Amino acid sequence: MAHNYVVTAHKQTAVTSCVTGNFTSSNDLNLIVAKNYRLEIYLVTPEGLRPLKEVGIYGKIAVMKLYKSGNDKKDSLFILTARYNAMILECSGEGENMEIITRTQGNVADKIGKPSETGIIAIIDPDCRVIGLRLYDGLLKIIPLEKDSSEIKAYNIRIEELCIQDIAFLYGCANPTVVIIHQDAHGRHVKTREISLRDKEFAKTSWKQDNVETEASMLLPVPEPYGGALIIGQESITYHNGQNYVTIAPPIIKQSTITCYGKVDPNGSRYLLGDLAGHLFMLVLEKEEKMDGTVTVRDIKIELLGEVSIPECLTYLDNGVVFIGSRFGDSQLVKLNVTPDENNSYVTVMETFTNLAPIVDMTIVDLDRQGQGQLVTCSGAYKEGSLRIIRNGIGIHEQASIDLPGIKGIWALKMGFSGNQSVDDSVVLSFVGQTRVLMLNGEEMEETEIPGLIADQQTFFCGNVGKDSVLQITTGSVRLISVNTKQKLSDWTPPDGKMLNVVACNHGQVLCAAGRDLYYLEMEDDTQVILKSHVTLDYEVACLDLTPISVTSQQNTSIAKAEVCAVGLWTDISARLLKLPTLEEFHKEPLGGEIIPRSILMALFEGTPYLLVALGDGSLFYFSMNPVTKLLGDRKKVTLGTQPTVLRPFRSQSTVNVFACSDRPTVIYSSNHKLVFSNVNLKEVAHMCPLNSEAYPDSLVLATDTAVTIGTIDEIQKLHIRTVPLGESPRRIAYQENTQTFGVITSRVDIVESSGLTPARQSASTQAQSVSSSSSLGSAIKAPVSTRDSCGSGGGAEIGQEIEVYNLLIVDQHSFAVLHAHQFMQNEYALSIVSTRLGDDVNPYYVVGTALVVPEESEPKQGRIVLFQWSDGKLTTVAEKEVKGACYSLVDFNAKILAAINNVVRLYEWTAEKELRLECSNFNHIIALYLKRKGDFILVGDLMRSITLLQYKTMEGSFEEMARDSNPNWMSAVEILDDDTFLGAENSFNLFVCQKDSAATTEEERQQLTEVGRFHLGDMVNVFRHGSLVMDHAAETLSTPTQGCVLFGTVHGAIGVVTQLPTEFYHFLSEVQTRMARVIKPVGKIEHSFWRSFATERKVEPCEGFIDGDLIESFLDLSSDKMKEVANGLQMDDGSGMKREATVEDIIKLIEDLTRIH
Amino acid sequence: MKMTATADFLKGLPCYNENNFTRFHSDASSKVSVKRPSVYLPTKEYPSEQIIVTEKTNILLRYLHQQWERKNKKRESANEVEEGGSAKKRPRLDTSV
Repeated sequence: MAHNYVVTAHKQTAVTSCVTGNFTSSNDLNLIVAKNYRLEIYLVTPEGLRPLKEVGIYGKIAVMKLYKSGNDKKDSLFILTARYNAMILECSGEGENMEIITRTQGNVADKIGKPSETGIIAIIDPDCRVIGLRLYDGLLKIIPLEKDSSEIKAYNIRIEELCIQDIAFLYGCANPTVVIIHQDAHGRHVKTREISLRDKEFAKTSWKQDNVETEASMLLPVPEPYGGALIIGQESITYHNGQNYVTIAPPIIKQSTITCYGKVDPNGSRYLLGDLAGHLFMLVLEKEEKMDGTVTVRDIKIELLGEVSIPECLTYLDNGVVFIGSRFGDSQLVKLNVTPDENNSYVTVMETFTNLAPIVDMTIVDLDRQGQGQLVTCSGAYKEGSLRIIRNGIGIHEQASIDLPGIKGIWALKMGFSGNQSVDDSVVLSFVGQTRVLMLNGEEMEETEIPGLIADQQTFFCGNVGKDSVLQITTGSVRLISVNTKQKLSDWTPPDGKMLNVVACNHGQVLCAAGRDLYYLEMEDDTQVILKSHVTLDYEVACLDLTPISVTSQQNTSIAKAEVCAVGLWTDISARLLKLPTLEEFHKEPLGGEIIPRSILMALFEGTPYLLVALGDGSLFYFSMNPVTKLLGDRKKVTLGTQPTVLRPFRSQSTVNVFACSDRPTVIYSSNHKLVFSNVNLKEVAHMCPLNSEAYPDSLVLATDTAVTIGTIDEIQKLHIRTVPLGESPRRIAYQENTQTFGVITSRVDIVESSGLTPARQSASTQAQSVSSSSSLGSAIKAPVSTRDSCGSGGGAEIGQEIEVYNLLIVDQHSFAVLHAHQFMQNEYALSIVSTRLGDDVNPYYVVGTALVVPEESEPKQGRIVLFQWSDGKLTTVAEKEVKGACYSLVDFNAKILAAINNVVRLYEWTAEKELRLECSNFNHIIALYLKRKGDFILVGDLMRSITLLQYKTMEGSFEEMARDSNPNWMSAVEILDDDTFLGAENSFNLFVCQKDSAATTEEERQQLTEVGRFHLGDMVNVFRHGSLVMDHAAETLSTPTQGCVLFGTVHGAIGVVTQLPTEFYHFLSEVQTRMARVIKPVGKIEHSFWRSFATERKVEPCEGFIDGDLIESFLDLSSDKMKEVANGLQMDDGSGMKREATVEDIIKLIEDLTRIH
Repeated sequence: MKMTATADFLKGLPCYNENNFTRFHSDASSKVSVKRPSVYLPTKEYPSEQIIVTEKTNILLRYLHQQWERKNKKRESANEVEEGGSAKKRPRLDTSV
């Protein structure tokens, strides 16, 4: 049996739909964005968009509309999913108490009917009498919007026009009236139909217009007083209302196709239009007032406002601000300005929202050599094409570095050297037996002396305290130094010549320990420190902290006073909390084990106080603290490293984070009220302090065993994404370690002109440092277009036509600069790339597979496999091989090349003469699109015949078909999980797992791949890759026994993980999943089992062999009583094979560990 | 000239709350939004007030029924006029259609 766990590591980012209205309250202006099967609800505020909630829907959102019916002050949200679940949602409550209520729901699918090729269209009558759904050809489904009945009877009405391009309800009609664009043999026509709600029939056609533009594709109903509709075509825009019409054919809209619109004025006099090239237009209806007081449309004006991300949808928000939702690039918040900028654009981008979609290909590389994979994706398309580098964890960007070994502590000081006392200007470094000061002079650092500072002892603490003093604590004393005079103000020495060994300090309080003695001091008058209390503890002090954590004082820690302090002790290995100033113990927490606590810290994360205790073995205990009683609860433990860990707080974007210095440095922060442990791209950090100087603002100083580094830190988030814009569509990527480059296949759009091809815009391939090209003259094959042109058959490209031009880009792995662009022949599409060594040849090559595409051919009949070598900044074509078809996939195979060419899988060997020679072939495919290999096994993903397993027989030098899945799956990606288990993704957004049964008794059974796992992912997978986004070591320390890790990238920009589970654990999680599905009441009331069932046009089968990790991991966000409800009576294996009842804590631990695999 | 024309296009854009976006602030260096909404986890059961069901009647049957009713109505009104007519003639009329 297959036991798989599938979970989202990075949620979808492609925006599929957006709407604006008053959803959360009648006074709130909301933006609601649909991202495949998630909704994001935002509030428009003076500060910009404020995210409110993300709402998961158990179905792909096909249509989303807001409407306000009758006397309602708030909008209702109508959603229709791709599997025909309709729902009407309302919002109640505010803030954290916000609830989404499913007022109306039901499945509107018909048992028979041909789903329309132009997709699902849903329209709402402006007077909110009915909703119209065009789901199947020839039918319009009507949902009457009756508020009071408990059951709404939807019914179909027959619609004569079969091929409907668009449909809309007209404004201001006595009965609901639709306007449609339909197509027949003669062209496209516009027609209106009035619906008789009584007869459930179309009543009459009030007006129609035959033979509108042949590419007319979109209808915009215009509100009263104009009424009628705008008909948007490829080249023209027409306004029509039955009585009169106005048509314009402005040249500016011809360059591309208008795909979306947004109404600006409520009266419908202005609209925003967006096209496939990312142009934003304003369309204005100019009115004419007649003598009788009626108004009509006199003229249509259209103006180009500027360029935005290629829009999928757009919506006007408020005060000239527009949201642009994009599928191909980053979505944007833009402002429309009355005066244009220097580029003649009226649009300014205010904010962008990162979007990885569509992830077309990706590769996993360890660029930093830290044992952690980074993902490099081919993301976006057309002008939004980019490479995205995705890394789990937080990056430190080195700004400056000095070699200085043996550092025992570092602190930044404000000494007022430059007269500016608001920024740090020096760094105190502590060594065994000495203390040194570095003064920051701009970007330079020079050693300096502060007369009042003790320089011949190791410093335990140094920092600014009070208004203008510096406190230094050494073994022998606590001393105050004046910032102004740099001289000693006063000092305090421990009694009886005791030596201090552990200290803690905040802005006005000092805690120091000498062995078992603990002294509490307070600063007075900014000039002296006074001993306030002293206790002798049970054991020697190991670590101390007195960070103020009163919840109310979060904003102003500089004046807040700590009411409690935390102490870690030797010998009994405990953490204790003492009251201040009395030093009276009020809480004791034994940590267990024999490893002493090395660092203790109280921190306020998202308003919740925590106590963190790091041990000498790199593990960390953390507790939540009751804000009032300060008592500890929710004890948890994680392993961060293997060495003693030092915890240091710092601020980033005005939130508190903690840096755990160890052999595996980690940043601890809070997200969604959970602590997140994010690794940092550094090998080892011994000490750290925040630094905010003039030349290094918001930076960190990091000390290793040998050096001090000043660096800036990435924004704190779990996955960090860096964008390398290409300006053209990336298609495939391969990594070549030897040359430290990526080979990236891209396509760009060129326009045919009389002088030849001209790129439509500048992009990566046109701006490369050097260029070369494949010429049909020197090639083994002739490009078909050139032969045809010479024959004068007229099949060549016409002037003005857009043509795709393919390039191989060589991209530097560090700078991501495009070092070289190699352009393929005209009509030659590069489809696959692999980096490999061949035969006995020591050179690594980029191998590219291509197809020559002739529009008249049903499938390509010619193609090439080309070998490129990148060395000394030069790209050379080493060899090429003509193949009879399109080379869809290439895989390195024991120093040979495996290629999928049309319906054949072929193996080529590399001869001593540096030629590719065909060794063997395997037929029996429709189109072999995808190849994966493991050892001698080859997995083939077919266009429509699912997956096939081949074995290469070394002795015979031939392929043998081992087994095949006989289900008719249309594949989008394949992967080998292990020798017997294979993962596939197909084009109805499902995943499946097949197994080979080598032990089967009959030959027939052995040749059959059995489907053992099925899961509806709700997104199309384009690529699977073995690898992981987390550190190699991370998995070792987890309690969850997952095996293997496959990452996938999807059309909607999600990154997911598939991993395998042992049977026992699978059944346990399966039980948790069932209980979770009961506890979570899905929005829209779609059952979880329905959502995850494997569904294609042909069949629906229940989900099997997969655990929905997204559902499982949402356990951590449940309230504690709901957690108890899930845990109640759940049995788990306690490790000894005995079953016992699982506690909430057990499940939290297991699921938290599961979240750490991604 | 063109400039002013377009500027007119953009004048008087709708305003629902004049304060919206007035205090918008973004770092000049980074316009990339990192804010994410928290995930809504519905655990409260709200009974659905309304359920959408699809009418089971076949569209053709519904049409025939409607036609039948219309015919019947016509016939009834016709019958009222022809009340004195022979009952035997009726089946003949039907079969001839």
